[in-house]
Amino acid sequence: MRRATAAPLMVRDAFDRTVSFAAPPQRIVTIFASNTEIVAALGLAQRIVGIEAFTRYPPEVLDRPLVGGRLGFSVDAVVAERPDLVIVTPSRQAANQLIDPMERLGIPIIVLLQRTLAEIMANIRLVGRICGVAERGEAVASRLEARMAKVRDKIGGLPAPSTIMITGRLGNGLLLVARDGTYTGDAIVRAGGRFGLESRGVLAQISPEAILNADPDVLLLAGSETQLADLIGRPGWLDLSAVRAKRAYAVSRAELLIPGPRTVDGIERLARLFHPAVGQR
Amino acid sequence: MLGLALGLAIVVAAAAGHDWATPADLWRAVSGDSDLRSRLLFEWRIPRVLAAGLVGALLGLGGTIFQGVFRNPLAEPYLLGSAGGAALGATVALLVPLAAPQSLALPVLAFAGAWGATVLVIGISRVSGAVDAAGLLLAGVAVAAILGALRSFLMLALSDETVSLQIVLSWVLGGVQTPTWGLLGLLALMSAACLALCLMLAGRLDVLGLGETMASAFGLDVRRFIATAVLAGSVVVAVAVAFGGLVAFVGLAAPHIARWLVGPLHRPLVPASALVGAIIVVLADAIARAALPPAEIPLGLVTAIAGGPFFILLLARRLRT
Repeated sequence: MRRATAAPLMVRDAFDRTVSFAAPPQRIVTIFASNTEIVAALGLAQRIVGIEAFTRYPPEVLDRPLVGGRLGFSVDAVVAERPDLVIVTPSRQAANQLIDPMERLGIPIIVLLQRTLAEIMANIRLVGRICGVAERGEAVASRLEARMAKVRDKIGGLPAPSTIMITGRLGNGLLLVARDGTYTGDAIVRAGGRFGLESRGVLAQISPEAILNADPDVLLLAGSETQLADLIGRPGWLDLSAVRAKRAYAVSRAELLIPGPRTVDGIERLARLFHPAVGQR
Repeated sequence: MLGLALGLAIVVAAAAGHDWATPADLWRAVSGDSDLRSRLLFEWRIPRVLAAGLVGALLGLGGTIFQGVFRNPLAEPYLLGSAGGAALGATVALLVPLAAPQSLALPVLAFAGAWGATVLVIGISRVSGAVDAAGLLLAGVAVAAILGALRSFLMLALSDETVSLQIVLSWVLGGVQTPTWGLLGLLALMSAACLALCLMLAGRLDVLGLGETMASAFGLDVRRFIATAVLAGSVVVAVAVAFGGLVAFVGLAAPHIARWLVGPLHRPLVPASALVGAIIVVLADAIARAALPPAEIPLGLVTAIAGGPFFILLLARRLRT
């Protein structure tokens, strides 16, 4: 699979940086679960030589050395693995802390953005090309796209339930909700839901009152059943239409809050929740 | 003596990291070896250690000026709004998409914020006719509160995911930005200029130390001097902030430790504070890198957690004698 004699492959990343590869990388450090999952989905898990502390999937990469975690990312630890590719997403401090040193040391580093499902698919193809398995990247992405198309066909024409997905709770009682313009929001729409809250203003935090007031058809909490029971046990929540109609669900954080191949699993599951009458698959 | 200690601290810090380097590794790195590990040491770790030393020296200088001007042992370089201003500037640089690259925007806006905030404080106290220590302090508290609130609002409004708040938070907690060798040269030149500036103020700071009335009797234009010294001190701090973020505690502690070593006169105190500040930050930065691999602890947390008890110990011993 080596292309040692070919002209170097030039790619453009999400920061509009041009990165060139003389040969397909064999030692890859993937920062964040999303990027690790993309590389693993291409069947290249054995090339991953470093991950960050909050990667939980796939199991075969969990024994790899850690190069960072909540407290940031260590240039020393990344370099110690002698990678020939580092993949980051500009979240937490990853891009800030790693791009500059890797460029200075001549270690190829690419930045991937996954704000929509379309970007996730494009990134699967891009990483496939970089790693010398372009056909496999194309195959993996097309298969995922076909599954999303199937969902779209099944729900076509059905009324979209208004939906609010709670993705986090803040110390001051405010809630974080999935918004338009994010891959999670994209997943809700592709699964046949619509936003139960108009995005208003610039703040992502929503007062619980706004959710009670919006009274969505479906209430989703990205988390466990226990957390959901705790949330809807609070005063006022039992009166929500979604709760009374038993349409308040706990959904998987791994599928809907990590922008990777598994997000398509999340879309299929959401579609079944939004449109129970339509049997998926 | 202090110079020797600093040299030792720099060598230890250059070796400290996720993988500890041996003196032989360091030698290979500085003698131009092209292995990846050597280049990591030469291109990344050594400039960072030297930058940490210069940032620490600047904080020591800034602290000395502020403690001298306010004749208050609790005065610290971030007193007059510079921390709040720098943090606001850095927040804009980190979260607002700007035309300039972030590596340039961050130090420039942090510097502008730090210095601008102090100029604003002096302006306010001048308009209200109270360019004395108390007037400046009150204006400083008010400006810091406003700037802090603006920063918090920007952090909430501009970050689309809660995780990106970490970028701002970690900047606020301090951390030396590793400069290129060229930029490090610039920082060294600026630090030398700051040292010269502070030495020029040293004699008049001693006079001011006698009290405002006495200083006036000696022919010092107290109000004018306070404004000049504060402006100079804030330039020093702004340079430190641009390269090192907000590093807690060093600017407060370094002048005290230096005073115990060389006494209260400012001419020896100014360079001694710079050296003490440099030693503290070089060592703290090494701990930040090496203590919890592979993570890096924000520098300001290390200086406060490790430096705090040390300072208390010194203080207790000092009070007992």
